[in-house]
Amino acid sequence: MVDSGIDTAVRRSADATYRPTAGPRHRPRQGLVNVLYLPALALLAMFTAYPLVNGVGLSFTDWDGYSPGHHLVGLENYQRLLSDGTFRTVFVNTLVYALGSTVLQQVLGLGLALALDRPMRGRALLRAIIYLPVLVSPVIMGTIYYLLLQYDNGALNDIVVALGGEQQAWLSTTTGSVAIIVAVNTIQFVGLSMIIYLAGLQSIPTMYYEAARLDGASGWSLFRRITVPLLQPAFATSIVLNLIGGMKLFDVIKVLTGGGPGYSTNSVSTFIGLTYFNAQSAGYAAAMGVALFAVIMIMTLVLNAALNKRRLEA
Amino acid sequence: MRRRLVLTAAISALTLALTGCTGGGTDSGGGKGGQVEFLTGTAVDSPLYGQYQDLVKKFEADHSGVKVNLVPSSTDHEGDLKVRLASGNIPDIWMTHGWSLLRYGKFLMPLQNEPWAKDLAPALKPAMLGQGGELYAMPVDTDIAGLLYNADVLAEAGVKPDDIKTWDDFNRAAAAIKAKGKTPIYAAGKDQWPTGLFVDWIAPGVFSEAELKSMKEGTFAEGSYTKVLDTVGAFREAGLFNKDYSSATTDNVARALAEGKTGFSFLMNFVATSAFEYKKDARIGFMPVPTANGGEPYLISGEKNALGINKDTKHPKEAKELLAFLAQPENLTKLAKASGSAPGLTSAQSDLGGLQSSYDTYVKSGAVPTVPYFDRVYMPNGAWDTMVKTTDGVVTKQSTVADSVAKVKTDFTKLYAQAK
Amino acid sequence: MLIGHRLFRLASVGFLLTFAVIQLVPFYVALTTALKPKSDLSSQWMPPTGRLYLDNFRIAIEQGGILRAIVNSLVVTSVATVLVCLIGALAAYPLARRGTWVNRVVMLLMLGSIMVPPLSVLVPLYSLMNQLGGVNTYWGIILILVTGQLPLSVFLYAAFIRTVPTALEEAARVDGAGTFRVFFRIVLPLLKPVTATVAILTGVFIWNDYQMSVYMLTTQDVRTIAPAIGSFFSQQSSNLGAAAAASLTAMAPILLAYLFLQRHFIKGMLAGAEK
Repeated sequence: MVDSGIDTAVRRSADATYRPTAGPRHRPRQGLVNVLYLPALALLAMFTAYPLVNGVGLSFTDWDGYSPGHHLVGLENYQRLLSDGTFRTVFVNTLVYALGSTVLQQVLGLGLALALDRPMRGRALLRAIIYLPVLVSPVIMGTIYYLLLQYDNGALNDIVVALGGEQQAWLSTTTGSVAIIVAVNTIQFVGLSMIIYLAGLQSIPTMYYEAARLDGASGWSLFRRITVPLLQPAFATSIVLNLIGGMKLFDVIKVLTGGGPGYSTNSVSTFIGLTYFNAQSAGYAAAMGVALFAVIMIMTLVLNAALNKRRLEA
Repeated sequence: MRRRLVLTAAISALTLALTGCTGGGTDSGGGKGGQVEFLTGTAVDSPLYGQYQDLVKKFEADHSGVKVNLVPSSTDHEGDLKVRLASGNIPDIWMTHGWSLLRYGKFLMPLQNEPWAKDLAPALKPAMLGQGGELYAMPVDTDIAGLLYNADVLAEAGVKPDDIKTWDDFNRAAAAIKAKGKTPIYAAGKDQWPTGLFVDWIAPGVFSEAELKSMKEGTFAEGSYTKVLDTVGAFREAGLFNKDYSSATTDNVARALAEGKTGFSFLMNFVATSAFEYKKDARIGFMPVPTANGGEPYLISGEKNALGINKDTKHPKEAKELLAFLAQPENLTKLAKASGSAPGLTSAQSDLGGLQSSYDTYVKSGAVPTVPYFDRVYMPNGAWDTMVKTTDGVVTKQSTVADSVAKVKTDFTKLYAQAK
Repeated sequence: MLIGHRLFRLASVGFLLTFAVIQLVPFYVALTTALKPKSDLSSQWMPPTGRLYLDNFRIAIEQGGILRAIVNSLVVTSVATVLVCLIGALAAYPLARRGTWVNRVVMLLMLGSIMVPPLSVLVPLYSLMNQLGGVNTYWGIILILVTGQLPLSVFLYAAFIRTVPTALEEAARVDGAGTFRVFFRIVLPLLKPVTATVAILTGVFIWNDYQMSVYMLTTQDVRTIAPAIGSFFSQQSSNLGAAAAASLTAMAPILLAYLFLQRHFIKGMLAGAEK
């Protein structure tokens, strides 16, 4: 059994991230302190909120995206959205990209971090190599992977053929393409999760492990009872980052499949681009953007409420 | 603590200094002032861009005080352009990628009275001239295209280009190529737009004159459009397309043509230009497009690299002078050669490199009629994307021919009404 | 037990090595592509044969202007990253310390705006920038990228500030220090570790931005790396060799930065975990 004192310490530090600090005990001088977020608010109001509100306005029109002038069409674009099977597909894809790469990156990232946490020769080099792709623009990384995966003259098919297999059109089925997009995004950004977990692991004082070992704990139970709880802040950071990255996935899809076959591997972002520029339906594209933003806002609200509840219970 | 404070202060100071100085720096060197901005729509290392650079340098030397700001294409010329048009930050000159009349006409300056306009290549007239004879762009080249083929692959399968007059002939030839283990038709599904070309290529031989006229007046000829997509559907059923259709790019097509992995491609001649970069001595040509009913095979022609001037430009004189300079026969000859196509004005010479013999056989002799791009003349503005996606649906079997035609019809009717 | 342990270690080393190889493959292929002319149709695995072929690098530098693009990226990234840290830290402080409903709403809106797809605001944003005269300027793209990364920065700073005890600030206040003094003297210095995190994360995102930069920066004297590489691809042609050469050239500075700062990379990531 692990000593209950350690247990408490573990729990306390894990909760630290979520601890509300705005008790009535220490209120900084009211009003004045809020001034500090004005620069940020000003920027966001100008370069995010204003264009977004503008987009809401456009979503009620039939604008083609470049001509001067357009007509109001009321809620037509939103009605169309509800009955658009393609939009449903791309919405589901977006979730698959976000959740799929988030889960994979946590598993792989934590695995790599654990493997690289212990001292070994070449550790720094291995870390650098695994982190390397994070430093490259996704549009470039995606293009290189496209070259690797293409049917004729692709590096992967060269290997397959050399081993006596048959050339494969890797990016020609929907399921295969979605999986490859998730995999490429994961491989590129797994270094990020790895570094975050490495940092988390190194912040765990070794005395906890030593004390637990004295109590006879080992291997799996050490991992479960000390490592995992103490990594909570790292989990939070890494998961949030990966979710954002996955939801916004754009460049990789563009260069790997262009959204095909058909529309079947588009994300909401790439589909907005196609609707805007190719189909010349800017009004409809704006409605998609608004809908996506609304859904994400609601998800954030629910998540936040859940976290608040936790805080109250703690 | 104090050291940190100093550090913070230093960083803030650095920030201010940097923003301050960079702001000043760009103002003085900025791209606004007296510059003529020219969106070329070509890649920064392409021969055509290089030719533009050379000629612009000469132009600037002759016209002191005039500066031309050449902008290479990003991956998405059309997207760049639309953002610029939408926001009112319109470039002075831009490449109209086939749409000088229908899509960009309202933004462009009429140029029919320019000195070079009388030399407009006849093949360009149907698509580029408005009803009152307005012309909105100076065509650098004429995009004359047919079926691109690899002569070695055809020879190996015992097929002669001149024997292919109908789609039945074509399908037989394709089957022979397939029997040799080659891909009969290499198509680029990933790039979105090339799939729409199947309709542009096939439709002129299917639609009757009367139907074409009625299309122009807003009546959609459903039966003929169905025939076009049926032809494409038959290609798919016969397994004529490349296995990686939906993930292939035009660059893949170019390389497959160069390496002799495919017999045919329904693409423009710039693909052959790329193919020659892969393999200089590749035996690639283009041939007239077969017809459905034994009519006369034809070639497709249209505007490709054509340059229009913003009607509200602050530099109308300079912009017109630049176009007139580029339109001079010796200059246009160089530009058309760099783009690998025939020139857009009859005053210039054509040099199509590896494709010259096809050009001499079919175009120069005047033996083969040319037809305009079907969508640019007979479909309303905005229908192109629908054409691409519905044809793609047929090729990938994600939609039936009937569903695709129904979708085209709906959009045709809607867009035609909008354009009114 | 001991054998199991050794097997486990062996497996973990194997896993690491495999993974490292997978991560290196794209760079290897980029290198072979960059070192071969377009007419070399050999497999991507084949190293170039014969005389060293550097034309792609020449094209990347002379025609693609990649060196200028690297300088532009350095300017944009360094200024934008400093601003993201400074403005983000400022904003996070009241949001983390004062849980009034106004502040909660502000925080939520900021978090929600993280996920606004850039394309859906592109045209209004571009129009606005055009009116402000910020198209094709450093400051224009910097303001846009700073705004884009601010929510993440606020999120990370706020999470960290919540873990910092308030005792010091209270003591300072008792001594009569005002808000700004408390922030700059007491709070800001404590934020050093999380600042490293924010700078590393947002710096990389800013460095790699393509979606916004490609529209905002079209002239060579301000264009950054990703759009500069994009200019090798057009509808009519693409030059993979030159693009690969440009990508590799552009990687050099950030790779050097990483190698020098590697230790801080990991230390900085401690952020939320530090107490």
